[in-house]
Amino acid sequence: LFPATLTYDTLRFEYEDFPETKEPVWILGRKYSVFTEKEEILLDVTSRLWFTYRKNFPAIGGTGPTSDTGWGCMLRCGQMIFAQALVCRHLGRDWRWIKGKRQTDNYFNVLNAFIDKKDSYYSIHQIAQMGVGEGKSIGQWYGPNTVAQVLKKLATFDTWSSLAVHIAMDNTVVMEEIRRLCQSSFPCAGAAACSALGSDVLYNGCPGDAGVRDRLSPWKPLVLLIPLRLGLTEINEAYIETLKHCFMMPQSLGVIGGKPNSAHYFIGYVGE
Amino acid sequence: GIRGTPPASPSGTFSRLQVVVERYQKEKTLPPLSRTKFLVSQDLPLSQFVVTLRTRLCLGSSQTFYLLVNNKGLPNMAVTMQELYADNKDEDGFLYLTYASQEMFG
Repeated sequence: LFPATLTYDTLRFEYEDFPETKEPVWILGRKYSVFTEKEEILLDVTSRLWFTYRKNFPAIGGTGPTSDTGWGCMLRCGQMIFAQALVCRHLGRDWRWIKGKRQTDNYFNVLNAFIDKKDSYYSIHQIAQMGVGEGKSIGQWYGPNTVAQVLKKLATFDTWSSLAVHIAMDNTVVMEEIRRLCQSSFPCAGAAACSALGSDVLYNGCPGDAGVRDRLSPWKPLVLLIPLRLGLTEINEAYIETLKHCFMMPQSLGVIGGKPNSAHYFIGYVGE
Repeated sequence: GIRGTPPASPSGTFSRLQVVVERYQKEKTLPPLSRTKFLVSQDLPLSQFVVTLRTRLCLGSSQTFYLLVNNKGLPNMAVTMQELYADNKDEDGFLYLTYASQEMFG
């Protein structure tokens, strides 16, 4: 399994060459050929939002840390997977960042939702402080489930996106719970694009006919997070094929996880 | 099994399954169980057994709890304990399960 990831270990990922292989490259539900679509692959990867350690931001809680170096890894991974949800929601899966090209307001709105200050929807400040309710003091390491639980709570304040966030506990996805959550009656306030991340709908982003969809569909866009443990000390090989299939789903937002001491955001795979 | 040793069935196996639940040695979040040996009815769904263990450990619904057998997670919560036992029991007659939460990453 070749991890096409954005991590702190492989900062120069974009400059690394892909293995010359006939195997397709899968990036968040899109299939590419290394031979004929290298530019498209790089453009897709470059367009994923990357968040990492920063220092000299306003102190968390007024008197707390001003840097997340050494502890913010999983919080940043949570931001990245959620930023992908917001990109799909407001810009669409086909959106690309092109150097020098003027971006829409929604692009900046997405970035602002993650900026390192206390009143952004999903800032490191918000995540660290909401984690206190999950038993995590500020500066403590998170697991993938902790950051998922926190993001779910923070999403309730983001009326711009009005996402339904479901976390499937105990390895079990209960479809009825998801239907109830996504059909709940309070209105879809997000204006620009009401994409559907749900498994019933095939496309993640639909900025084109978004207004129509907003009015007609009572279905809230879904972010489905499934916390799993794929092995005790190392990944059980029985899961690898299924894991690859996750990256082939058009709704895929990727995977956050890793190995002890190092969190990763996985966005695709190539080959074994 | 509160009245003592359960009766053996004609084939020599217990009518209740002998299950040992151990905490993963590197587990840091989940507490230890006060007892680790369980006699479980054969037709009990795994999902119910997990609820029992979650209750004993006083876990909230948003806390992760994974049961593993042979380093393999148990994704299908609908199987019965008998099915799980038949496929994974040790030669000493016990089914060994390990529980763990998720790793934390910095």
